[in-house]
Parts: sequence; structure tokens; C-alpha cells
Amino acid sequence: MRILHLGTDSFGGYGGIALFNREFISALVAHPACEEVVVLPRLIPRQPETLPDKATFVTGAAEGKFAYVRAIREAVRRGPFDLVVCGHVNLLPLARLTGQSPLLITHGIDAWKRLRDPVSNYLVHKIRGVISVSDLTLERFIAWSHFTGPAFVLPNAVRVRNYGVRTRRQDLISRWSLQGKRVLLTLGRIVGTERYKGFDEVLDTLPALLRTRPEVVYVIAGSGSDIPRLKQRAIGLGVADSVRFTGFVAEDEKPDLYNLADVYVMPSRGEGFGFVFLEAMACGVPVIASRLDGGREALRLGALGPLVDPTNPAEIRVAIEDALAVTAPRTIPEGLEFFSYENFERRTHAIIDALA
Amino acid sequence: MCGIAALFAYGSDAPPVDANEIEAITERMRPRGPDAGGTWISPDHRVALGARRLAIIDLTDEGTQPMTDVDGELHIVFNGEIYNHHELRARLKRLGARFHSTSDTEVLLQLYRRDGPGMVDLLRGMFSFAIWEPRQRRMFVARDPYGIKPLYIADDGNTFRAASTVKALLAGGRIARAHDPAGVAGFWLMGSVPEPYTIFRDIRSVEAGTSFFIDERGIHDQRHYYSIATTLGQGVRDEPAARLVDSHVLVRELVTDSLRHHLISDVPVGAFLSAGIDSCALVALATEAFFQPPRTVTLRFEEFQGHNADEAPLAARFAQRIGSEHVTRLVARDEFLADLPRLFDAMDQPTIDGTNTWFVSKAAAELGLKVAISGLGGDELFGSYPSFRALPRIVAAARIPFVASAVSRLARNPKARAVARYGRSWAGAYLLKRGLFVPEDLPALMGAEAAQEGLRHLSMIEHIAEAINPDPGTAFGRVATLEASLYMRNQLLRDTDWASMAHSLEVRTPLVDATLLRQIAPLLLVEKERCKRHFANSPRNPLPDWLSERPKTGFSVPLAEWMDLAPDGTSTRMRSWARIVLERWS
Repeated sequence: MRILHLGTDSFGGYGGIALFNREFISALVAHPACEEVVVLPRLIPRQPETLPDKATFVTGAAEGKFAYVRAIREAVRRGPFDLVVCGHVNLLPLARLTGQSPLLITHGIDAWKRLRDPVSNYLVHKIRGVISVSDLTLERFIAWSHFTGPAFVLPNAVRVRNYGVRTRRQDLISRWSLQGKRVLLTLGRIVGTERYKGFDEVLDTLPALLRTRPEVVYVIAGSGSDIPRLKQRAIGLGVADSVRFTGFVAEDEKPDLYNLADVYVMPSRGEGFGFVFLEAMACGVPVIASRLDGGREALRLGALGPLVDPTNPAEIRVAIEDALAVTAPRTIPEGLEFFSYENFERRTHAIIDALA
Repeated sequence: MCGIAALFAYGSDAPPVDANEIEAITERMRPRGPDAGGTWISPDHRVALGARRLAIIDLTDEGTQPMTDVDGELHIVFNGEIYNHHELRARLKRLGARFHSTSDTEVLLQLYRRDGPGMVDLLRGMFSFAIWEPRQRRMFVARDPYGIKPLYIADDGNTFRAASTVKALLAGGRIARAHDPAGVAGFWLMGSVPEPYTIFRDIRSVEAGTSFFIDERGIHDQRHYYSIATTLGQGVRDEPAARLVDSHVLVRELVTDSLRHHLISDVPVGAFLSAGIDSCALVALATEAFFQPPRTVTLRFEEFQGHNADEAPLAARFAQRIGSEHVTRLVARDEFLADLPRLFDAMDQPTIDGTNTWFVSKAAAELGLKVAISGLGGDELFGSYPSFRALPRIVAAARIPFVASAVSRLARNPKARAVARYGRSWAGAYLLKRGLFVPEDLPALMGAEAAQEGLRHLSMIEHIAEAINPDPGTAFGRVATLEASLYMRNQLLRDTDWASMAHSLEVRTPLVDATLLRQIAPLLLVEKERCKRHFANSPRNPLPDWLSERPKTGFSVPLAEWMDLAPDGTSTRMRSWARIVLERWS
């Protein structure tokens, strides 16, 4: 079986979608029937990781839109492919160049409502099947697309060995003045167009929280254009001294960042799944997610941590207080095994077999 | 759903509580809770609690009230339902709480022990309750955010009394029956008595969305923990969240979540069905969520046959479409006249509405149902009352000086003549739009002196204006707040309570839910009146055009025909009906 993978980024990419693509490609090449996976990335912003066997990574595809089109045509010329994977709804028109109906992967808000591009809205009816990272995203995709073909849920995977419960790094504690503090953490892109991560909601709880827990500090990790607004908001709420902004966090520093936290809290409304929850849990950090988006599925509907209504500040505050009151040493929850790479690979193979 | 009562002789001069009084109050509420009842009196005879129970969650004796917590320290009487009690129980168990029952009542006790008065912020439901803490010698009292479940109090400065109905408090025999001119004036103005006033001088309603303590100092630490105006104002900030998902999908998700909570029950749940979008969409979504439709009930009146007001044929057609076990109940004039004495006896305070709910509840109870869902609140939530268009126009027009004065001079309608006086403010415009009479009519109705006193105490315009303080920030938000805080609370919800409880039926209102409002507010403010269309399209199989395109009709009964009501300048002759109500309700 030969597979063509069209994706935004994967090896050498940042963020949750790139990570999903890497794991997905790794799972595809591990399928017993797989001969080759040809990977065409739109972007390669950093040095790619080691590629798995049987994966052909076409770096030239990332040199621009025209280069990407050329790469698709070249791949098709060298075909045929038994399966074309379209790793993002925005790539559907380009996937059409293969002449095959692709298997579409949907990750989150990109697929929650009708697309701006009418061609893509038409092309969703031509796909061979759809994979979503969560039930929520799949339901929302089907609700507007009315797609009736094969549909699968494939939640993200986390490799616990890359994280783990670690001693807190003193240099990071010093860098962000966290000595003797209880740390709340949220990590994400901080841009005005994505003002649904839950940063504001956690900030809003701080005045009440600090009255009973003055040692609490809220660490907002990540970079983006909305940071000045959040700083002003913290000042307006009178909690600026208890808020830290880390700026950009390198991939290899993330496990140590998570390990600084006493609670990872993200009462968001726009997460397709919320891979950050898996990362935090893989570091033994208690997590609090929203019950209004895909985060609830990362916490297995509350089995791995409390779910809160992001519109209810009291619920968020109480969940944080409950988590801070736990005195037992941090541990990785047993239920996190559900999201192991091995289970991800098994699910991926089941999807491929079902499509075959 | 129950009827509850509490007495607390908190003043040093207060005599001990009287067992006969708590018994009499509780007994007056027997129809609210026919399954069980009981009273509890503290060892020092300073506190008495009473409850009648309609068993719906945890049907065993373990759910009986008054209830004491597992450690024997806290005592509670509770009326209503806590729809998120499973989630709260799970959290409390994680934190080490112990339970002796599966009832939501006990969850309240443990939640109070854990979170104190802040517990009310965590509740999703309709409720009023009183918790007695012997160690602190204080009582904690709270009522739900919308005011779905009533709670009335009388505080003479020495003894505090509370009950689910005004008439139950009076049945105790210790409260004077003197009328409150403010309450009477409010009834004439609006067709129902605006809370916190009641028709009696010495009885007040606990305000919706408030809690307080009472101890030897009396009532204190009153807290308004929920505000519809604030919630809708907050929605403006969260507008980006409304744009992430297609509107009808978001409506489906949020209303279905509310439905899932509202359908938690240990007994079967039915549904009131009309030919309107709200009840039909609710029943359709409930059918999708639970893979089978609830039993449905519709009223039919011969007087409406062949008219648009006859909802029975279309409701039956929709019931057939979704496959529900459906009953169309015919109500005739003779039955109405025969029921009238019982209806007035059950009517807790004078109101011009409630007859419709009386009969549909009666029909549901005849089917053996103890619980029914209703589409009540859909018009307030989704902006489908004419007031959503009319109020902004009235305010805008009345602020043009010559327009307002010209209308006031030339119009024959008394309300139109009052535009110049009242129409310039949102509160005044609302009074004109929703009012039964205008203040100038009151001297003729209740006597000049009483009218003057009543209007002075009531300050109706200020009272209405208080509902939109803080300003929700948008025209839609203002009208939605006014309708939900005044008409729906004082009329629809209160009437639904007494009229359904008279038949031992609990009515649940998934569209009247503080959590739903918080979550859906951004969408409401973006989509405004279009939300009703999104609601109609929210089921996976959207409502058919013959329902969603049908002209809106109210849920009315042919009172004018049944009672031979005299013409009174209104199409429904409600002014004539109001005169009859005030004569006969008590």
C-alpha cells in the first residue's frame, strides 16, 4: 500500500497539528501492508526530526505554493497511491489535484463551520472519509457538511517517556520568580483572533483566588499579539504581580515548563482536542479543562480531571482550589494510557483496514 | 419538587416556634408534595422546618425532608431540582464527603458544608431552600437565579417565617392579611404582583438569584449572586466564541445540554406540546438526545376550532412525525366553570394568567405524569416577542419631542396617550408595552388614596429600571432582560408553579436556565431575533415549514367566551378578567 500525505506541517513543524501528523505518518508506515508514505509538507520551519522508515519526505514541497503544486503533480506522476491523506481542510483544493478522493483529517475550529472557500465546501462531499481528533469536532464537521461517508475519531497520542514527573528546574523558577509559589499554567498561542483559550477566564478568577491563596501565580506561556491586552487586564484586576508571561517556549523546554505547574488550567471554548492537556498529565500535573470544547475528551469526560463551565468563574475557581488542596505527590494518571502511541497506532491501523 | 416551610424564632423576645403553626403551613402545601411530608423542630424550639414531598429523584425514604446530613449537624428543607447534582456529588465524594442517599437534597447539604454560601454559584437548577446550622445558630436561605421556584418570607423582627406559597404562610395563622397597596397597584399595572412585593403587606418574596443569612441579628449578608442583565452584558465581551460554530449547531449543543440536565429523573418525564417552535424544537431535541420521544400533551378548545389559535391539529401532526405517544385534551366551558373555585384556591396571588397551565398540567397529571418539560422562556431567550422590535421603536420615537406629544394628544388608546410621559425611557416603554393599565387608571380601580400610596411605594418605573441595572449594553439585551426579569418571573414562572403544583406536577423549563443563558449569551447578541430561526433549525431534522413559518400565537384559553367578559379596550379582555380575579382569588 502506497500512501500520499498532504499536510500543513509535520516533521520539522511546531504545534499540535504537526505533532499529530508526525504520529499519524509513523502509525501509517507501521501498518503491515504499507510500502511507502510520501509526505508533502507545506511548511518546514525547523530542523526535521528523524524520519521513520518507509516515509519519503519531500522537502521541496515546502518552498512555496507553486512548489507544492509541482510536488503533488510529481508525486502523482510517480504514483499510483492507494490512499491520499489530506491533513487539513484548507488543503482540499490542492488534494483534488491528485485526482483521488482524499481521507480528510480535521483538527478543530478549522472544521467547525462552513468554510469561506466555496470550492472547499463542495469538495468535502468528494472525500473518501474523515478523521477527527475528537467526537466534538467530528459532530460539528458533519453538522455543516452533512457528510455521510466513513467517519472516525482518532484522538491525539502522547509519548509519556518524553515527559515524566521531573524535579523543578531552579533556573526557570528564578527566571519567572516562582520561589515559594503555587503555579497555575496555561500554554497556547496568545492572539486576538483566538481569544477563546481561557486566559481571560482564569485571570478573572484570580482576585477571589488570591484572597484565600495569596501564594498563587498564574503563568501564561506562549507568544502572540494579545499579550499587551492581557497585561492590561491583569493590571485592571489588580493581579499583575501574580501573573507571569513567559513568551515563546521552545519545544524541548516544554516538559520542564509543565513540571513547574501545580495545576494546568485551560477553560477554553475553541479547542478541537487539547493536546496540551495530555502533555501536562504526562508530567503528572493535575489538569482542569472546559466542558464546552474538545478539552473534555482529552480528560475523558472528566475521568482524568475536572471539567468546568468556562462561563462560570466560580466553577473555575473552585476547581483550582480543589486541585491546589491535594497534597499527594504528583503522579501520571493511569487513564492516560488510553492516549498512548501504541493505542494511537492500533486505532490508525483499524481505520486504514476499514477504508480498505 | 416540594413545598417547604421554615420558622426561626431568632429574636430574644420571640416565643418558641409553634408545632401547630409549622404543621398548618406544611399541610396547606399538601398538593405540592403528596408523596410524603414531615416537620422537624429543634430541641430548643427556636427552629421548625416543614416539607411536603413530590418524589422524583431518589424515590426511597432516604430522600424525605426535612433532611439531616450524615453527621447530624445540618438540617435542610429544599424545593426544586438540582440538575447537576451528579457532577457535584462526584466532586464532593472525591473530596471525602459521605452520603446516605442518592438525592439532590443531600448534595446541597454537603455542598454547603464544603463551600458555604458560595455554593449557590455552583448550582444548576431551580430551587429554594433553607439550611439550619445549629452550631452557628443561623439559617442560610437561597433562591434560584431566574426565580423559578418561589419562596416567601415574613419577618416581624423577632420571628422569621418562610414558605413556598403565600397562602401557606397565611395558613399558619400568625400573619396579618392586610393588603399591600404596592402589591395591589402592581397587579393592576402588570396583571401580576411584581416581586419582591406580594398582595399582603407583611409577606415578601425572596428575590430571584439572591441568598442571605438570618441569625440573632435578623436578615443579613444578602447577596445577589446572579444577574440576567450582567450576564447579557458579559456576552458582548465573549462574542468571538459565538462565531466559532454554525449558529444552529451551537444552539443545538447548548439546548441539548440543558435538556440532558433537565431530564434527569427517576420517574418518566413528559412534555407540553403546542404548535409553536419552542415546545416542538425542545421535544425534537429531547427525542434525538434520548432516542425516543417523551409523551406529549396538547390542549384543544372548541371555541378555537378553525382559527389559527387552535394548535391541536398541528401539534398532533408533529407528534405523529416524531412518533410520540400524544394526547390531545379537550377542555370545555363547563369544565372550566367547574374548576374555577379550585383554580382560584390554588392561585397563590392574583394573576391574569395561569389558566392554560392549569389545564395542561391537569391533562398531564391524568396521564400519570409527575414531570413535564415546557418551552416556557423561549420567547424571552430567543427574542421572539413583539416587544423586541416595539420597545426600541417606542423609545426612539418618544425621544423626538413633537412625535411623542402629537401621539399623546391625538391617540384614543390610553396607553398611546401616555407615550409622551413614559415612552422616553426603556422602563417606561416597557410599562406601556406590557402593562395592563397605566398608573393614571389606578385611582378608579383601587381608590385614590390607596392608588397614591401604592404607586409611591411601588415606584413602578424605578422598579422596572432596576431590572436593567447594570445596563446590558444592547437593545436586545435590555428587552431580553426586562422580559425575563419581569413578565416571565412575575407572571409565567409563578403561574406555572401554582397551576402545575395544584396537580402535583413538576414543570421543568430547559430554556429558563442560568447556565444556558451564560453560555448562549454571545450568540444571542450576535444573531438577535434570528436565534429563533436557528432554534427551529437546530434539530438534525429541522422543524418543518408548516410549523416554523406559522404566525406566532400565544398559549391562550378562550376566557372571554367562557366568562362572557365585557369589552374593555383589549383584544383579550384581560382587564375585565383582572377585575374578576381580584374579587375571587382569595
